[in-house]
Amino acid sequence: MSFRIRQIQTTATGREIVREREVTGDRLTIGRSAENDVAIPDLAVEQHHVVVSRGEGRALAFEAAGTLGFTLDGRTRTSETVRDGGAELVLGAFRLDFAAGPGEEIEVTVRRMEERESGAGAGTHGFRLTSTWLPGKRPVAWALLIAIFLAFLAVPIWTNLGREPVKPDYRKPGQTAMDASWSTGKLSLAHHGLEDNCEACHVQPFVAVRDGACLTCHEDIGDHSAKPRLSLARGPLSWGDQVQRDIADVFHKPGAGACTDCHTEHEGEGRMQPPAQKFCADCHGSMDKRLKTPLGNAADFGKAHPQFQAAVLTGQGDRTPTRVSLDGNPREFNGLKFPHELHLSASGGVAQMARRLGAGKGYGETLECSDCHRPTADGVRFQPVDMETNCGSCHSLVYDRVGGTFRTLRHGDISQMRADLAAADRVPRRPIASGRKRPGAYSPGGLYYGNFAPPQRASVPLASRMLSTRGVCTECHFPSGDGVMPVVQPKRYIEHGWFDHEAHKREKCTTCHAAPASDSATDVLLPGIKTCRTCHLGESAAKPKIPSTCAMCHSYHPRGDAAPARVGKDADERKSQT
Amino acid sequence: MASLASEDGRAQRPSDHEGFLVHKRFRWLKVALALSIVAGIGYAFADVSPRPNGGTWYGYALGTLGVLLIVWLSLLGIRKRAMTEGRWSLKAWTSAHVYLGLSLVVIGTLHTGFQLGWNVHTLAWALMILVIVSGIYGVVVYATLPEKLSTNRGDMSKKEMIEALGAIDRQLESAAQPLPREESDLVIAALEQDAFRAGVLARLTGRYPGCRTERARAAFAADRDRDEHEERVFGLLQRRCAQLGQIRRQMRLRALLDIWLYVHVPATVALLGALTAHVISVFYYW
Repeated sequence: MSFRIRQIQTTATGREIVREREVTGDRLTIGRSAENDVAIPDLAVEQHHVVVSRGEGRALAFEAAGTLGFTLDGRTRTSETVRDGGAELVLGAFRLDFAAGPGEEIEVTVRRMEERESGAGAGTHGFRLTSTWLPGKRPVAWALLIAIFLAFLAVPIWTNLGREPVKPDYRKPGQTAMDASWSTGKLSLAHHGLEDNCEACHVQPFVAVRDGACLTCHEDIGDHSAKPRLSLARGPLSWGDQVQRDIADVFHKPGAGACTDCHTEHEGEGRMQPPAQKFCADCHGSMDKRLKTPLGNAADFGKAHPQFQAAVLTGQGDRTPTRVSLDGNPREFNGLKFPHELHLSASGGVAQMARRLGAGKGYGETLECSDCHRPTADGVRFQPVDMETNCGSCHSLVYDRVGGTFRTLRHGDISQMRADLAAADRVPRRPIASGRKRPGAYSPGGLYYGNFAPPQRASVPLASRMLSTRGVCTECHFPSGDGVMPVVQPKRYIEHGWFDHEAHKREKCTTCHAAPASDSATDVLLPGIKTCRTCHLGESAAKPKIPSTCAMCHSYHPRGDAAPARVGKDADERKSQT
Repeated sequence: MASLASEDGRAQRPSDHEGFLVHKRFRWLKVALALSIVAGIGYAFADVSPRPNGGTWYGYALGTLGVLLIVWLSLLGIRKRAMTEGRWSLKAWTSAHVYLGLSLVVIGTLHTGFQLGWNVHTLAWALMILVIVSGIYGVVVYATLPEKLSTNRGDMSKKEMIEALGAIDRQLESAAQPLPREESDLVIAALEQDAFRAGVLARLTGRYPGCRTERARAAFAADRDRDEHEERVFGLLQRRCAQLGQIRRQMRLRALLDIWLYVHVPATVALLGALTAHVISVFYYW
């Protein structure tokens, strides 16, 4: 058993000097002292540092002789055994390579190490991700930052500032590039054409949308009221609203009464959302305190809304209606004697008549509202009742029969009626309705024939009798002068509120109109606000009640006879119906 | 009595280390929770019309708060380079960073009013969520992996691992001298492969199908009658495989610990950019 020690030294010129010697025995001492089998001239090494002893076969046991450890195969140890005779011992700046040589010999090569000598060459940074292909955090961050600034700031702002000043045209796309990425949401249906034309409304950078931008297209929109009156009507702001207003003023946001106060855009496709009732209630909620007005305060349909005021012809012969509250139980004079109760009764003559005329003529068991009242084409209101079509099937104006033809009085034209009657020949003729004929010898010409009928009057009546208090005309009309009083059927009772019968057609007429109990034509059969409130309450109403904002019935911008420009869901429904 | 008191005193002594998550008994968790709850209640009751979004007064309020938070949170990158103690210690700062960052999910999302689309505004929101999600990952790995890292390392430093591999390599080189051509080539191939030339995927998964040391080891293992030299080389290859395994586990844990910052940091910078674009564009087209 022996160790072959090979000590390698390198000269200044780089030449290697190898000294070989043999140490017999199964023990090898290593240290700085010259007494050792292998002397290492390094101050970091102890005088007696390591003892290597041979074990079975090629096993080597390394044992620290002093207190300091040693580095064996890269690990710091004080005691270690290797089985196959191969090991690498590092002491200070020296490396000792142990390897099994021929026979029982163990070769030990001693050399001074280079400055740095390790597996991967460099330090430990190879453990980190920085040594991979992964791009560094900084370059990625910069690239992203530049890309975002270019695409979402530089390009839109550059093209926006450099655009040609032209009048906005919703049929053309705008000149600003890539500003679609700035859109906070789709425009409403009405403004859909402006989707690619942001600068049509956003005219100046950093200036909130002004009314002028809206009025470029909506030039004919009417004002709710004159400007000074509007300002007067607007109530004092709440603390929170005042703060908001002040902040908005600091940023020059267009103030109270601007289009954008009520109309907000970029809320998504579909119809514009109806303005909240708060916008109306701000003024109308307590307007009587600030303004002289016949209008009652209104803030919420369910909680604070005055009774309806209907335009009613209150006096005989009135031509212009007066607005009266339904609370005052107003009487209306329209020139007709028409008790609804009589006509809608399930028993009695009218019902009997309807039954006799039968389903063939469109009648049921009793007279229905729809037998006389026909809706207009749009379904919103009802056509005026027409004598010939609606009354005439029962209230016949036939006065004569010539052969198989009936002659009927001209309705609505008294002079014509007089002329017709005056010109009629008055030859006695068979009555329009004869008595029952009796059979056999009792029949006319028979032995026992007898005529017990009242004596025949002149077959055609006189106009004066028709117009007299017991005449056929005065069954329904009031005599006046040499004719009858004119009949007025108002088209609309509520002029500033909108009611759509079409939207309510699933309800029965009598749910709202108390016609079956009305025994006089002077009854105003309009339902009061209480009736509406059985279904409709204010904006915050919870199901099953219907949340009803002001915009459901009223329009801010004056619209005359047209329906309020309601927006939102109900407008869609209305569109599809008409 | 005196001894009891002193025992009590010792028992109440604060521990040496308190993680940033439990800092000051979750002070910043409480602050963040309170902030989120207040924001939520405000969202439910704020009188905004026609519906909540960033353009209402409440939206502006949440947006301002969100911007301030985001800017402050991103300053951790600067703040962490200066360690201090006390109330504004880096630990307190990190604790606040984590919990206030989480509360941004609530504040930022309520600011949107849940109106998301393909625009720069939603880009900012999405980047914010990406930053927060990567941050959550970071908190989780920082809480669990360092212990594994330490277990894997045992008593060796990273440098020692590299040196151990170097020692094995040098022994392999000399032990392989008597081997014939084919076997020598296997050893050369194994030695030439740099343990640290590993891709991101390999590091993250810890799978190295192209490992030549493993290939050489398998080839020697398949050799039924190995002579003395081959046996030595086989033994060294096995040691090399084991050493590589330790290094690779170390690299994997290190990669799992580091990877989120490659998302978190660039996404934060991108978020600051998108946020700038968001704020400017909103007021440019006011």
